[in-house]
Amino acid sequence: MNQADVTKLMSQLRIAVRPNKRNLKNADGPEGRLLKLRKTVTALVKHERIELFYNRADEARGYAELLISNAIRHGDRHKATMELADYWLLEKQLVHKLFRVLVPRYENYSVSYTRMYKAPRDYPGIYYRQSVLELRGNPYPSLLTDHSQNRSLLHNVLLDEARKEFRRQKLPELVI
Amino acid sequence: MALRILKTLRPVAHPLATTLAGGQRQEFIHTTPACCEIRKLARLRVVDNSDLGKRAMAEGRPPRCIHVYNKRGVGLIGDKVLVAIKGQMKKGILVGLKQNQKPKQPKFDSNNLVLIDDNGSPLGTRIHVPIPTILRTILKEKTLAKGADYTKVLAIASRYV
Amino acid sequence: MNLSTRVMLNRLAPQCAYKRIVTFSTKTAEHAVENQEESKKGVAPAPTPSSPAPVTRKPIIPANYRFVYPEFLPDPKVEWRNPIREKLERLDMLERRKQIDLPEFYVGSVLAVTSSDPHAAGKTSRFVGICINRDRCGLRARFVLRNVIDHQGMEVVYELYDPTIQKVEVLRLEKRLDDSLFYLRDALPEYSTFDENMEAEPLEEGASVPVNDIKVVLRPRPWLERWERQNLRGVANIDEYLKDKHRLSAAKVQKPWEKYDMMKDYRSSIPEEEQTEIFAEVHTDLHTLELQRKRNKRKRTFVKPKQLA
Repeated sequence: MNQADVTKLMSQLRIAVRPNKRNLKNADGPEGRLLKLRKTVTALVKHERIELFYNRADEARGYAELLISNAIRHGDRHKATMELADYWLLEKQLVHKLFRVLVPRYENYSVSYTRMYKAPRDYPGIYYRQSVLELRGNPYPSLLTDHSQNRSLLHNVLLDEARKEFRRQKLPELVI
Repeated sequence: MALRILKTLRPVAHPLATTLAGGQRQEFIHTTPACCEIRKLARLRVVDNSDLGKRAMAEGRPPRCIHVYNKRGVGLIGDKVLVAIKGQMKKGILVGLKQNQKPKQPKFDSNNLVLIDDNGSPLGTRIHVPIPTILRTILKEKTLAKGADYTKVLAIASRYV
Repeated sequence: MNLSTRVMLNRLAPQCAYKRIVTFSTKTAEHAVENQEESKKGVAPAPTPSSPAPVTRKPIIPANYRFVYPEFLPDPKVEWRNPIREKLERLDMLERRKQIDLPEFYVGSVLAVTSSDPHAAGKTSRFVGICINRDRCGLRARFVLRNVIDHQGMEVVYELYDPTIQKVEVLRLEKRLDDSLFYLRDALPEYSTFDENMEAEPLEEGASVPVNDIKVVLRPRPWLERWERQNLRGVANIDEYLKDKHRLSAAKVQKPWEKYDMMKDYRSSIPEEEQTEIFAEVHTDLHTLELQRKRNKRKRTFVKPKQLA
């Protein structure tokens, strides 16, 4: 691992990538780990928003992003990409969804294709870190609260006062 | 790296041993990756045309190193070694190693040896394989340091690499 | 550095290493890096310029730069990355390339290297051999040449940017089916024998590098490595010397899922945007050197007028 592999050309991932992979304890070893991650990626592409444990979500996120970026780069006539999509998406309908829906959606994106949030942890109980992994542009309502219209926050307080001040100045002109 | 050894014989209390389910005991001994070093009992290939060397190689009983004249027990290029060849002990100079070398120094596919006597004069009259050029400097230094003249080996060399 | 600062830095270091070093802007690709894939969908849009900034002349980096100059790409291991050190190394590499012509070669090409040797008689030594491996990156880039001289196989490791190397000539430029030819050590000696005085075999200008699909014949076992486990394409008779136990243990050790492990490929490579950025930095100088090399080649083939008696 002291020379970069130049045979495969991949786009830069726009997410934070750990330098080492997580082994994700699995009875079937590395093959089982990949199977679990395939199920996760399939679920992500199918439902576009899933809630799961943080570590697996982080691993699956990288694979999902690479799958989409390879699909965008090579299109659906490229044999290697088709085999990759066939391996990673366990439901074959989703291969069509990847190339027909997700690729046009993400073609001109300059940000990551997925978003990951931290979710509330179940205490007392299984206290593992929870997360929500979703594809951008999904049809569900946003998980982030929109603070831009909150009248109590400082920026809106100042803007409201500025608007009132402006109207007060304008009033004599309007009356006349 | 640890090599696992399974033993099913009389269990002996060993601090590193653990008992497996089937009553077998496993012990770990430390191993290293293959180093291709010349130590005691390493087999060498005689590359000069001395009678003794040729007969030993032809019979399929190559000389075995029994001592390395070195502070460390590992022979490097140009080191004098004591070998056991055809039932007798002879000294030799290492002229080629299978060990990985520094950049620009050649690495050979076999561990090559030139037999010499105590004064440093070689037993053969010709070396039929190429020899690394660094031997020139090493053997000259050894000649100055010791008393024997090791540079006679350089005289019989046919080719340098 | 006192103990508390050292402890803090050690704890911070892995956190900093998690983010991939982003040295480029996250805008979509503007200029065309020649895309060799003809199978791209027709519906795929042309690269749209996301920034309206006027660009007078952007260097279009040839697609084969990453094969011709692989040592300019840094080590993909994130913990060992240091952008400043890499930039300085690249400057040093260009400086060295201005002093000596380091030609394009691949694993499987036959090279002749002349280097200065203080121990040799004429103070220089020339070694001809087939390149069996190219390793490392940056100023530490090396290659291994193998040859069989007087029935003795030998290998020499050379560092590409070693200042004591005086000349590197490519006698035969070709590629092989595998990325490393270590199996030549266990092959019959004729596959590693190259004449010391062999002459350079020139290729036509602009021709692609030929791939020599020779299949090497191995000697009987024992071998230095378990070649049956490495999925080699350039070996002919590997099955001849395999027993069932070898086949079974090789099958057990295979990892067919690694072909689909995209993150593994990603972590062992440099992404395209970063490659483009790096080669854009060095492109002008390398291109000038290439032109100079072509000019010198033409000058050499110019036949000197014979002196008539």
